[in-house]
Amino acid sequence: MKTVPRYHITPILEVVVLAMLLITPLLASRFITISLTPILILAMLAISFDLCWGYTGILSFGQGFFFGIGGYTVALLINKAQLLNFYALSAAAILSGIIIAGLFGVFLFFGSTRQGIFIALSTLALSYLGERLFNGWFWVGAANGQNIWEVVSVMGIELNPGISFYYFILFLLAVTYLLCRFVVKSQLGLVLSGVRQNEERLDFLGYRIQVPKFLIFVFAAAIAGFAGGLYSLHEAFVGPTYIGWVFSTFAALYCIFGGSGTLIGPIIGTLAIELGRLYLTDIEEIRAYWQIVLGLLMIGVIVFRPTGIVGFIISEKERIGYFGYKVSKWRFRKKWAQKASMEGPKI
Amino acid sequence: MEFALKMIFEVLSYASIMVIIVLGLAVIISMMDIVNIAHAEFVMLGAYWVYLMELWQFPIWLAMMTAPLIVALLGIIVEKTIFRRLYDNVITGILASYALAIVLREGVRSLLQGKEYYVAVSYSGSIEVFGIQFSLWRMAIITITVIVIIFCYLLLTRTSVGLKVRGALDNPSLARTSGISTTRLYSLTFAFGAGLAGLAGAMIVPLYGISADLGARFLIQAFYSALLGGIGGFIEPVLGAVVVGSSLSGFQWLRNISGLDQFTSPVSIDVMVFLVILIVVKLRPDGIFTSKQ
Repeated sequence: MKTVPRYHITPILEVVVLAMLLITPLLASRFITISLTPILILAMLAISFDLCWGYTGILSFGQGFFFGIGGYTVALLINKAQLLNFYALSAAAILSGIIIAGLFGVFLFFGSTRQGIFIALSTLALSYLGERLFNGWFWVGAANGQNIWEVVSVMGIELNPGISFYYFILFLLAVTYLLCRFVVKSQLGLVLSGVRQNEERLDFLGYRIQVPKFLIFVFAAAIAGFAGGLYSLHEAFVGPTYIGWVFSTFAALYCIFGGSGTLIGPIIGTLAIELGRLYLTDIEEIRAYWQIVLGLLMIGVIVFRPTGIVGFIISEKERIGYFGYKVSKWRFRKKWAQKASMEGPKI
Repeated sequence: MEFALKMIFEVLSYASIMVIIVLGLAVIISMMDIVNIAHAEFVMLGAYWVYLMELWQFPIWLAMMTAPLIVALLGIIVEKTIFRRLYDNVITGILASYALAIVLREGVRSLLQGKEYYVAVSYSGSIEVFGIQFSLWRMAIITITVIVIIFCYLLLTRTSVGLKVRGALDNPSLARTSGISTTRLYSLTFAFGAGLAGLAGAMIVPLYGISADLGARFLIQAFYSALLGGIGGFIEPVLGAVVVGSSLSGFQWLRNISGLDQFTSPVSIDVMVFLVILIVVKLRPDGIFTSKQ
């Protein structure tokens, strides 16, 4: 292993990304700004998947489901109940994620053993059936979805696609990111890393592993729901496809491609893929095969480079957390944890 | 009376389709702990091969015979390239198979240009038994399924290959020390499972046509059949498939005849059955047909 610098690259990465996101709308065209805003919202979705998969090892194909439900909650509240208060809307979107994930999660996590496959398949089924259900449900608009015609305002900013909406979303993304960082670096985050590494061991050590898994699942669903609400506000539309496999796949792809288990990875992954889509699909041949390209990319990353883009930038040593130190703790990769245990404890 | 017979017949044929799909899936899961989400896409590829053969003006029976072989070949390739690296990491394997499913599905979608096609089968038509019309093709499906089950059972219990498979299922390390090449066995099993999927796809193409999303509708059902019946044996997933296939098809029929189709959509049946299965699998995580050992 090559020698590594003593400083941590991750905060530098965060600052760079933040700076780039702050400056871009001022330099680029309005089109870029409007295109970038949903990408930031999708980055939130990717972060929610990362919380489940990257930190805890829960493969949840249901992030798209909560995303869509959040979007539908906001759209329905605006259209049917004429509720235009942003705070109420976002609270509703977050709550929708919490409630459904709570109900479903009680089911998923408490009780039997052999959970990994069960969770993956059940969330897969949830997305699939949810989309089909909403596709045929007249009251929510069936296949036509819900269009939002009213404009919601918050603190004097009109939430129309544009620069102010962009900065508002960037602000929300930063808040979400910091919140997730806080959760992940806390004791809960430590337990989650343990769950990802070796659930049984943690179980034998006396932890009730279902509880942190359930908690992070609900938390991630809340974020996904919130993101869904914002997305529907920006796009002024929500449809059954938002609930189904498509967005769940995107969440997984962005997170894995960018680098799962680091919160900055999903953001970078989302930016990379969506900006790639923006520019590359101008070329006719690529546009036709874009989905295949994404699928192949996903396979390639999973099989050959599981650490994602961020793996190229952040050294392997930095990924290993230091127990007992108040420096940034990063998630363990199974490989590196084995290496660490072979090299002895780093105290 | 004749109505009940007709309903039972159609339920049986749908359950047979489920059985063949689930058999391939469950064999792979029991053997190698690989949950292959792309299995549904293998089904779709079997159907696609039949469509291609028809396009190239080959006889349909030849297409149906070769479809399992082609898909089995693809299965071997996929296993060697993707899944072999992920044996120790089940969840990542699921993710990889999900990505593979996307590649296959979208690949076929662009090849089909997003359209659906119907394959003309000269075996369509029906025969009359006791005054009731029975679709000839559905009869063929049921017959083929029974033959396949018997064939698999004989293969597993009466042949040396079957013995090795059962040995590797029971205790892989012991099997390896006894000189059985588990890697080759795994490739074989995966190819077998994929071949079964291809067979299922070839069989259902006269009924459902070929479209890129052909497999997706069976995916969730197939997995739940396997979970419900129990993984780790041969007959348990088959029984699980029978239960799930029959209840889905049967309840759809009930919905049609009871007049509830004014209030509920077809997908409500799927959701209902899904919830019930979820609860049952939760209560009996090893499957309802496995005996506690």
